[in-house]
Order: sequence, then structure tokens, then C-alpha cells
Amino acid sequence: MQVIMSILSRLIQRLPRTVWNGRYWLTVLFVLSTISGNAQNPSLEYQLKAVFLFNFTQFVDWPAESFPNNKSPLVIGVIGENPFGKYLEQAVSGETKNGHPVVVQYYRDEEAAKFCHMLFINLPESDKRKQVIEKIKEEPVLTVSDASDFSIQGGLVRFVTRKNKIKLQINLEACKELGLVPSSKLLKLADIIEPGKTN
Amino acid sequence: MNRVKLTEVLFKNLPIRKKLLRIVFLINGIVLLVAGMAFFGNEFYSFKKATVEKLSTIGKIIAANSTAALAFDSPDDAREILAALRAEPHIVAACIYDKNGKIFSEYYAGNEKSKFPPSPGPQGYRFSYTNLDGFVPVMQETLPLGTLYLRSDMGALHSWLGLYAVVVVVILLVSFLLAYILVRLLGKSISTPILALSETAKIISERNDYTVRATKMSNDELGTLTEAFNQMLDQIKKKDDNLNEFNQNLELKVHERTEQLETVNKELEGFSYSVSHDLRAPLRAIVGFTSILEEEYANRLDVEGKRITSIIKKNTMKMGRLIDDLLEFSQLGRHDGTKTSFNMQKMVKDVKDVLATQYNTGKINWSIGDLPNVNANASMIRQVWVNLIANAIKYSGKMEAPQIEIGAMTKVSEYVFFVTDNGVGFDQQYSDKLFKVFQRLHSAEEFEGTGVGLALVNKIITREGGSVWAESEPGKGASFYFSLPVRNEIRINHQ
Repeated sequence: MQVIMSILSRLIQRLPRTVWNGRYWLTVLFVLSTISGNAQNPSLEYQLKAVFLFNFTQFVDWPAESFPNNKSPLVIGVIGENPFGKYLEQAVSGETKNGHPVVVQYYRDEEAAKFCHMLFINLPESDKRKQVIEKIKEEPVLTVSDASDFSIQGGLVRFVTRKNKIKLQINLEACKELGLVPSSKLLKLADIIEPGKTN
Repeated sequence: MNRVKLTEVLFKNLPIRKKLLRIVFLINGIVLLVAGMAFFGNEFYSFKKATVEKLSTIGKIIAANSTAALAFDSPDDAREILAALRAEPHIVAACIYDKNGKIFSEYYAGNEKSKFPPSPGPQGYRFSYTNLDGFVPVMQETLPLGTLYLRSDMGALHSWLGLYAVVVVVILLVSFLLAYILVRLLGKSISTPILALSETAKIISERNDYTVRATKMSNDELGTLTEAFNQMLDQIKKKDDNLNEFNQNLELKVHERTEQLETVNKELEGFSYSVSHDLRAPLRAIVGFTSILEEEYANRLDVEGKRITSIIKKNTMKMGRLIDDLLEFSQLGRHDGTKTSFNMQKMVKDVKDVLATQYNTGKINWSIGDLPNVNANASMIRQVWVNLIANAIKYSGKMEAPQIEIGAMTKVSEYVFFVTDNGVGFDQQYSDKLFKVFQRLHSAEEFEGTGVGLALVNKIITREGGSVWAESEPGKGASFYFSLPVRNEIRINHQ
């Protein structure tokens, strides 16, 4: 984790001073993402998102039943194309949540995704996303995605890029139904949405 | 300046009331200062501790609240959280560092933008001269996310210090005022008896009146002192009275005795005078009739009768001289002690010349030294010289080449005069007998005389404040000395 953060900081330090200004943030992200593309290093945007995913493990409490025992891992799953490269794995390596080691798993089909605690859904097709969400909607899995209709589809957390910043949208009601408890501090940062009502 | 001198300067010459006041002020001041400093130290320490605790609590709350903002990269939220610090005006600035030590969010109480430490320091709170700085780790559970930095100014401490100083000064002033009033009120119980005592002592020593008594005002040491003082006065008074009485009695007695003595002395003098005088009348008769016998009955007396008549006449005349000497001796007491300065040298020469007409002095080898002038009764001293020189002539008269030496020695406080002859001399062991009346070392047949002369010398010289003594060996002549005290005016006259 520390290694990654230092790499990240070094990367940021190398940027020209004017670029460090928030106004250019999106441009930088965009340029970086197009240049790097599917290359080994993920874009800065996904590096941040990877850190966010790990941080969710610290700001959300899962029901005790979701862990078979005290030592069983807290699993972050990624379904669809992996946008993080090795970055997410590096971010969580050695970290724990209440004694549960945090691990990353990559899934091809939604069946296996039932047994993770957090699932980043990186599926461009809306139908496929719907399919995955429907499959695990009874399980205490914190679903995360960038997709704009994710909340309506029943997803729990959505990354929103607004004013050059990554913002969070959380479907609190749905979380509570599944026994997931996001920290109030997290909720303070996030926009709480209720898809049942018109937004 | 050493301690003794300091206390002397502070207290020595002050009246007791001021001394008390000063002692109380000193003690009061020192006690208050020490107590004030102790309280101040304690308060200062607890205030600092409380300030740290307060800041620490605020720090913990802010740090706990800012975890999510750090975790999800939301400087706006962090700024909002930090903005809550506005409720605490002493926190002048705050910032949050991210995990990499970069400043993530800043807060300023005023418009002034202060500089933050470039990177977070070690955890904890530190006082600098103007600020209290603290670094608080921002952690979600066990996950370190960044560091919170808080800067509190010392305004609270400084305003508190000012207030404390004012309070201390006020307390000091009030307690000094109270101490002053209390000393004025309570100190009287100590100072009044002492002042009264010293006043009494002053009165007594000024007026010599031992009947004055100090008033006892309390039952403490001062009361005891007053009692002792009064008892002492009683004793002094008693002794003074006794002494006065004794003195009066003594004076009376001395007066009485003197009168008695004078009476007795007068009686005695009168007696000896009248005795001597009365004794001369029958003697004159004896001499007169013996002379008639010698002149008118010379042809009827044989040789033996004439010899006896001559013996009667000689002895009668001798008795007359004896009576004359006694008369002179007894009259000595009647002479007044008028002292005059006179020429001793001239007096001795006169005496020698006069005696030369009475005695056969043709053979005598005279040697007269320098004699100082003295201040004494001239006629008395003349009598002394007459007796001493006549003695010398008498006792050296039988020598083939009689010598008489007269001289003087000047000592520190007295003059010593002497008359030395080369006559028969006497045994030194009898020398003290010489100067008593009717004491003779030689028989009247051997050397004529009455035995009164040297006694007279002794009496006169003693009255003049001097002394008489003699040195001799049988057959080797004799020296008679007498001393007279030196008086300053004598020396002046002499010069």
C-alpha cells in the first residue's frame, strides 16, 4: 500500500505545478487514460478508485454472517475487464479489516461473485450489469460501478466524476436491507440517493 | 551586605511598633509571594495541561471526523470539518496532511495565512513561546490516513497570566492593608506595655524618682518583665533609702566625733599650755631665789654649797628649756597652715649664721649645695632647719675636723633635703625611735638636749605632706633627710 502511494505521489510530484491545479485534473486524467489505454499502469483515475475500493472496506461494516470465521478474508471482487492492473492488489496487500485479510478476486461470471463482500462491476453493457445485480441482490455484497444507471439498476455505490473530482453516490436504503452499514463519515461525503423516488 | 547588617539596617533603630509592623509585612509578603508562586506554578501547570487536554480532545474529534474526507480524497469536506474550529477562537490555524505528508486541507482563524510545517512532525503537543502546536494522527480504525496539525495561540494563557497577576497584586495589597490594621490593633498588646515600661524607665532615670511604678497590662512575659521591673525598683528604693539613712547617720556621727575630738584636742592643748605655763612660775621662783642665794649669800656658802647652788640653778634652767620646748610642741597645733613660697637657700644661710652665735662653730667645715625654693609654712620649715643643723653641730662638735653638708635632691614629685655630719652617729636599728618625743639615743650628760627637737621636726614635716628619716652608723656620722612635695607653682617661682 505504502509503496503504491509513494509511487503515486512521485508521479504527482513530477507533474508541472500548473497541472497540479484542480482545474486541469480532468484533462490530465483524460489524457493519461487515453495514452496508457490498456497498458500495465492504470490511469490516475483508476488508481484513486482502487484506493477508494480498499477504503470502503474500512468505512463499511458487513454482517458477521458474511464471514465463515474470524480469519476468513474480506473479498473485493472485480467483474468485467480489470481497469486497475495490479494496482488494486498492491493497494490491499497486507491490509486487514477487523482481523479479516483483504483480498482481491477477478470473476468471469456472476455465479462466483455471490461469495465476495464488495464487487466492482466494470461491464459496459447495461443488460449484463443488470444480470449480475439480480444474481447477487440477496447477498450482502457492496456493489460498486461507474455506470450512470447503476443505482436505478439496484447497485449500491456509484463513482461519479464531477467538477474534476470523483464523488460517491450511495443507495443507503438498499445497503441497510442487505445488512451493510456504511459509516456516517462516509455518508457525509457521499450523495445518498433513493432510486425508488425520482431523483 | 551580610545578614547581620541587613537586619540591623531593617530593624535596629526602629521603634518597637514599626519593628512589629515591618516584621509582619516582611512575613506577610514572603508568605504571600511563596504561596502565590506555588499556586501560580500549579495553576500554570494545570492550565497548560488543561489547554493541552482541550486541544487534544478537539484534535481527536477533528481527526476522527476527517478520516473519510482523507480516504475518499475530499478536501472540501476536510475544509468543512476544519471550519468547525471557528468555535474555538484560540486555534489560529490547522491543516491536514495526507498520508504522504502533503498538505491536504488548511484552516485559518483570521485572514492571515500562516505557514504550516512543510511536513508533519512527531505525534503530540508542544509549547513554543507563542503557540501550542499539536500533531494528531488521522486513523480509521488501525488504518493511518494522514495527520492533523493544530496551532493554538497562547492568548488564553497570556490573558490568564495577566488576570492572575492582577489578582495576586490585589490580594497582596488587601492583605497588607489587613495586616497593617491588625498590627495596629493587636500589636498594641505587645508594644503598649513595652512602651509604658520604657517610658517609666525614662521618667525614673530623669527624675531619680524610685517611687514610680510601671503598670502591668498582661499576664505574659511582658507582664512578668513589668513585675520584675517593679520589684527591682522596690529593692532599689529600699537600698537607696537605707543608703541615705546610713549616710545621714554617718555624717551626723562624723560631725559628732569631730566636735568631740576638737573639744578634747582643745582641752588637751589648753591643758598642756597651762601646765607648761604653770610649771614655769615655780621654776622662776627657784631660779630667782637660787640667784639671790648665789649673789647675796656667796660669802656664807662654802665651796660645796656654791657647787650645789650652781647645780640647782643649772637643772632648773634646763627644766625651763624643757618646758619651753614642750610649749612649742604643743602650740604647733595652733599654727595656721599658711603656705608661702620662700628662698630656701637664704633661710638655711640665716639659720647657720644664727646658730653660729649660740654654738662654737669655728672648726666646722660647711658645705651647702643648691636648694630649691618650696611652697610651705616658712616659719615651720625654719624650725626644722634649726633643729637639724643644731643637732649636726652638737653631735659633730667633739670631732677634730667637724664637717656638715647640706643639700637637696629633686625627684619626680618631691624634693629631698638632707643634713649630714661626721659626728658620733647612732645605731641604725634605733632610727625610728629618734623622731619620738623624749626618746634619746645619747645621754643628756654626753650631749645636751631635751629629746623634743626631732619629734618636732617629724610633726612639722608630716603636716607639710612630707616625711622624715635618718641614716647612720655609730662613729661614722649621721644623715637626716626630709622630703617636701613638689608643687607646680614652686617650679615656676624657682625659674
